[in-house]
Amino acid sequence: MSLVQNFPFFSIIIAMFSGIISSVLSGRKARNLSLFMITVTTALSFFVLCYCQETGESYTYMMGHFPAPWGNEIRAGVLEGLTATLFGLVMFLAVLGGIDHTAADVEPGKLNLFYIMIDLMLSSLLALVYTNDLFTAYVFVEINTIAGCGLIMIRQKKKSMSAAIRYMIMSQLGSGLFLIGLSVLYDVTGHLLMSPAKESVSRILAQGSYEIPMLVILAVISVGLAIKSGLYPFHYWIPDTYGYATPTASAVLSGLVSKGYIFLLIKIFYRVLGNEHVIGSRLINILYWFGIAGMMMGSIHAIAEKDTRRMIAYSSVAQIGYIYMGIGLGTDQGMIAAVFHIFTHSVTKALLFISAVGLYEVSGNKTDYHSLRGSAYRNPLAAAGFTVGSLSMVGFPMLSGFISKLLFAASALDGTDWKMLPTLIALAVSTTLNAIYFLRQVITLYSGPRSGPKKAAEVSSAGNKSSWMLRTSILCLIAFNVFLGVSSQPIVQAIADGLAMFD
Amino acid sequence: MFWETAGHLSANMEATAAVILFGVGFTMLLLHRNLIKKIMGMNIMDTAVYLFLAAKGYIHGRMVPIVADGIQEVTAYINPVPSGLVLTGIVVSVSTTALMLALTKRLYEQYGSLDLDEILILAKEEEEKAV
Amino acid sequence: MEGQMILLLPVVFPILAGILVLTGSVFRKEGRRASLFAAACLAGELGLVLVCLYVGGELTVWRLTDTIAIELCVDGISRLFAALTASVWFLAAVYSTDYLSHEEETYRFSGFYLIVAGVLIGLDFSANLITLYVFYELMTLTSLPLVLHERTREAVQAGLKYLFYSVAGAFMALFGIFFLAGASAELTFTAGGVLTDAALMGKEGLFLLASFCMIMGFGVKAGMFPLHGWLPTAHPVAPAPASAVLSGLITKSGVLAIIRTVYFIIGADRLRGTWVQNAWILLSLLTVFMGSMLAYKEPVMKKRLAYSTVSQVSYILFGLSLLQPMAFVGALSHIVFHSLIKNALFLFAGAVIVTTGWTRAEEMRGLGRMMPITLLCYTAVSLALVGIPPASGFISKWYLAVGALSSGAGAWSFIGPAVLLISALLTAGYLLPVTIAGFFPGNDFAEGETVRGGMEKKEPSGWMLWPILILSTGAVLFGCFPGPLLSMLETIAAGVL
Repeated sequence: MSLVQNFPFFSIIIAMFSGIISSVLSGRKARNLSLFMITVTTALSFFVLCYCQETGESYTYMMGHFPAPWGNEIRAGVLEGLTATLFGLVMFLAVLGGIDHTAADVEPGKLNLFYIMIDLMLSSLLALVYTNDLFTAYVFVEINTIAGCGLIMIRQKKKSMSAAIRYMIMSQLGSGLFLIGLSVLYDVTGHLLMSPAKESVSRILAQGSYEIPMLVILAVISVGLAIKSGLYPFHYWIPDTYGYATPTASAVLSGLVSKGYIFLLIKIFYRVLGNEHVIGSRLINILYWFGIAGMMMGSIHAIAEKDTRRMIAYSSVAQIGYIYMGIGLGTDQGMIAAVFHIFTHSVTKALLFISAVGLYEVSGNKTDYHSLRGSAYRNPLAAAGFTVGSLSMVGFPMLSGFISKLLFAASALDGTDWKMLPTLIALAVSTTLNAIYFLRQVITLYSGPRSGPKKAAEVSSAGNKSSWMLRTSILCLIAFNVFLGVSSQPIVQAIADGLAMFD
Repeated sequence: MFWETAGHLSANMEATAAVILFGVGFTMLLLHRNLIKKIMGMNIMDTAVYLFLAAKGYIHGRMVPIVADGIQEVTAYINPVPSGLVLTGIVVSVSTTALMLALTKRLYEQYGSLDLDEILILAKEEEEKAV
Repeated sequence: MEGQMILLLPVVFPILAGILVLTGSVFRKEGRRASLFAAACLAGELGLVLVCLYVGGELTVWRLTDTIAIELCVDGISRLFAALTASVWFLAAVYSTDYLSHEEETYRFSGFYLIVAGVLIGLDFSANLITLYVFYELMTLTSLPLVLHERTREAVQAGLKYLFYSVAGAFMALFGIFFLAGASAELTFTAGGVLTDAALMGKEGLFLLASFCMIMGFGVKAGMFPLHGWLPTAHPVAPAPASAVLSGLITKSGVLAIIRTVYFIIGADRLRGTWVQNAWILLSLLTVFMGSMLAYKEPVMKKRLAYSTVSQVSYILFGLSLLQPMAFVGALSHIVFHSLIKNALFLFAGAVIVTTGWTRAEEMRGLGRMMPITLLCYTAVSLALVGIPPASGFISKWYLAVGALSSGAGAWSFIGPAVLLISALLTAGYLLPVTIAGFFPGNDFAEGETVRGGMEKKEPSGWMLWPILILSTGAVLFGCFPGPLLSMLETIAAGVL
């Protein structure tokens, strides 16, 4: 057993311990520790990815002395390594970009609490990615929820409080459903570890016994995780939550948290319930239709929004709809498209939130759409970042969003019968809707104030320049987005390989 | 048919009670306006799952997994794993409840109300005033 | 990258030059410097394009995925469009050096003007459908600042309208592209089409729908009814050189996309006789008639010319829809002629606005005394557009009519030429009054009245006059000596039909 194989375990433990240690550190030290830890874990995940690509198969890692099915296990493969690396990168850039604002928004004595939450969030995301055990997944889902709530609440402004309670309520509904689904699954199969559970499940399905419980398990687990990730119609908590948090928190929440749950759902589909069974049941169609509904309704609400933050948050609802639509297509290609979109969306949403913050800074900290008029001239880099993010969401060629749409369309045309037309129509309509609100915002950014360009020059000299960290973060995220758009082939291949060894 | 079902349900009365309580808790969490009652509902929901799990550990005619008169054979004890799961679950539930109660206290301090709908309306008005 | 690297130069050079203009502070203070630099770059660009057309060849620029690559190539259609684009773009740039001294922030206009030039050459050189789509979207995005240039409220509204129509059209076309990508492994432009019968088995209905979506989607850019609404709004608010190239060349990019799709991917034979062809013919004829009617009634000159574009571009689309060699030649030749003519017309309108401030046609009286040469050019191109021999418009209309009559497209064979005739009359009706009022302003027209600067002879400056002259001369000469052009077009037509 090579050293690399220990890395998934190391990364989870390092993240968790940083969180524990940060409780006695001052704010700045906690922040530096956080950044250092994220870098280290991302590097570890990257090594895991390389290792798994070389060996060409995933491996299980025993946690403790007892082998399956009694002990706990984590499992690492190409897809897990890739996802963990990506999540780590996005989290690093999100934390980096928002450092100043975090310091400004949070009370000085409590700054280390914020970074504790970030560390816990990362550890729970990594655990969700790597775990092979259902109950461990539940525990980390709860840790994820609590960390997320901490990130939202840290601002202690009134709106964030009410957003936090709404988030907790919806989350708990989802968790409760997930838990009871787990329990029934344990009851029926007698296993909590995913791989033995799958054998049990396949036996049960082959025999045809326990038909209704299996259906109930499938339904309840899917609905529970769907509520937690914000699938329409369970999305009501998203705009308030993502909109009112500090920039790092918004970027992390919208880019990573929901994706952790979706990844877990995909994992359960492949590794516990069996993909064929899931596709055979009608549940996939329900996810599909809700995904499409989310795509439309999210964009429609975004068009009506005047506040830029809420607009970006509603666009998240739409994008999560895309992902569920991809899962709902029920083909391998659809799943690849959905996972690629998870990656695209994480990177792009982080870019949008961080750039938007750069724009608010030079517009008197106002976030409604009119105040941002002409802000491109005051903060060109942030506006460029916002433009790239918007164009990627709309699906302009050479950016990652285009590849996402291409993959979705290709998977719709290939092997699905009646789902092809609704998918293509939904893609076209939602892209136009996306274009409406994103491009409208971009044009507003670049249209000068009506009094002429001189006033803009005054404002920019009066306003403060964004810190180098914000700018670096935006630049890196833009580069990442373009990279995904232009050389997506190796990543798509890696996703396909990863999914092949996923079950 | 009805008596059959009733028979099944009463044979598994723990599971039945658990599911009914789950439904009750879920609905309370979802529909009640009072925050404290929502939290209570969440607890009822979680406790219901623990009841379900614990019940599933029980095997008729066997004893508690405590070694009293020397270790008996394996088949003399009930399944100890669900109890462990329940313990973990209780810890999670307690943490979440604590967090939600702290939030509720904050909200009460700021808005003077425990009614979620009212709080949301007040928060919205405040935001509109600020803009 | 494999292939003829030189093909990348005319695409990248203007884009880089444009970025230089946009960011270089040396261009901000002295606006004229920017437009002179732009004109110089475009002269260089014209040279580069001619070199590439001579050298020919293909180039694979980048592989996006294993199956999709960005590729450039030079074939008959590319030659035609690229030569036209580069020359007209250059002439309009020369014109704008003087025109833009009346506008603010010249550097922004010149910068984006250069960038769009590069993108358009890329579009012309595209070798497959995906490359075409990439450049198409880039063109929409980069031409938007040209429309928005004045940044008044109307300009922004017009720009947004242009953007949304274009994006909607592009995505309709994307639906078709997805379908074709699924139905065929190759999306490279090959004369006569790439699709095989086997690939389309069982999907014929969907195939026709996808083709129709592509034609409608690309037709948005070309101003085909019912999605032409952006044209009349965008043209009046843009500066004259922008309107000129918008009408003259950017609309033609929609036409190019349709040509490539129908003739080089789908294959003309597949659409012949289908409901798609009938719908296309109907919509283009409708647009021809409606555009001419609206132009006839429109008092604002630039808007009138915009409606005229709507109508004239649909002549081209009509010719393409007939799927017949002579009509195809007529359509392609009209692309050349209309570009030259429409550019000259818009530059004329700009010259009038700059010299006299008049924007409405009825105000334009007595121009014959003020700017006789310019008005003469206007008259020449108007006659060409109406289709009076020996001017160029006559040739294209002749080919279109003959092609229609021998196309075997049922009733359309007769309705088509009839509509063309009516439209020609209307064209005369909306273009010639300015000439007449210019040379013969009538007895009630007093000298020195309602004109700023008096009625003395005041031709627009050399920078503005020469491009108008060259364009008009070109329009007339092609009519007198159409031979070389027509034989080249006939070769292209033979390849695809």
